[in-house]
Amino acid sequence: MTIPRRLLCVITDQHTNPVELARMALDGGARMVQLRRKSASGRDLFEWALRIQALCREHGALFIVNDRVDIALAVHADGVHLGQQDMPVASARALLGPETLIGVSVSTPAEAASAAKEGADYLGVGHIFPTSSKDKPMPPIGTAAIRPIIEASELPVIAIGGIEVDNAAEVIKAGASGVAVISAVSGSTDPVAATRELVKRIRQ
Amino acid sequence: MIVSSGGEHHSLQGLALRQAKTLSRSEPVIYQLREKGLDAGALETLCRQLSPIIEDSGSIFAVNERFDIALISKATGVHLPEASCPPDAVKKAAPSLIAGQSVHSADAAQAATNAGLDYLLFGPVFSTPSKEPFGPPQGIERLREVCLATSLPVFAVGGITPERAPSCIECGAWGVAAMRPFFDPETMPETINLFLSYLPT
Repeated sequence: MTIPRRLLCVITDQHTNPVELARMALDGGARMVQLRRKSASGRDLFEWALRIQALCREHGALFIVNDRVDIALAVHADGVHLGQQDMPVASARALLGPETLIGVSVSTPAEAASAAKEGADYLGVGHIFPTSSKDKPMPPIGTAAIRPIIEASELPVIAIGGIEVDNAAEVIKAGASGVAVISAVSGSTDPVAATRELVKRIRQ
Repeated sequence: MIVSSGGEHHSLQGLALRQAKTLSRSEPVIYQLREKGLDAGALETLCRQLSPIIEDSGSIFAVNERFDIALISKATGVHLPEASCPPDAVKKAAPSLIAGQSVHSADAAQAATNAGLDYLLFGPVFSTPSKEPFGPPQGIERLREVCLATSLPVFAVGGITPERAPSCIECGAWGVAAMRPFFDPETMPETINLFLSYLPT
């Protein structure tokens, strides 16, 4: 599996029903959905993952599970996304095999090079702009940080952090293959329309 | 006998390692690692340290919930909380692992019986400080109901002492599990063997 160019990834938030959010994101044209709910039980994650994976297949989109390699294995997800504190890439690769996508969160060229060496397929890079979605002690890295990370890893980059309709095109111009959002879709009063608008800006 | 490690609110990584190192001095047990506070990366690191020590001692290492980490650290088992990824899905994805699950009612025990599990854990049978916030213990009669509701081996947990162990076995339990009596790793082998002396062989 590969990462399509100019892709929008919608990540689930901590409040909205993840299956409903995925359905709206896919209706709006998102090509990737990531299930991320830190405090959820394994049982809930499994049930959501099973249904979102099926929805993604119907829409020809990719389904990624955050952190939980066990859940990804159990539902045969298209991929996992690993933070720097999660299971190491090499371990996940050994368990998931060569076909499953592995994305890794990085914020420096050194982390990017190391993720590439361990077998990552794509990088989540951020946070690009100031964001309210996560409690971030570090300042935003800006769009200029994207290019050196691509050069260090030769991997596709999905940019994340404070990305919305007005700055999405700028991130693609800076070299990112795609954009990931949480609150720009889940926090919108009309998530389908918000997704559609983001997709339009990314493809411009 | 299941030895449960870890705590409800704080990380006890150092304790787990010290406990594991004593297992070569006791009869074999299932050593269940409960480490709710660790990120997956740190949990994997800890499990990779614990697994060879425990498995080489003749005991069985069971990782809580994360069967991916059980597989990568070459543990023999995984222990599933009641609200876990469904056991049949776990067994399908990780058929090589021994899998146990916590249940809190006879209905849950019955439902878990045909899911491919290898054992169940039921409790808290007696009062125990870590479970007091969740209400009174389930009691010995509930344990009996659970044992009658399933054909799987049931381990009783919660306030279990060596003296209380035989009453659990009389109710149909296969074995017992405990955490608190093993907080002192120095005396753990003797404590395990004391427990076992109260259990039928």
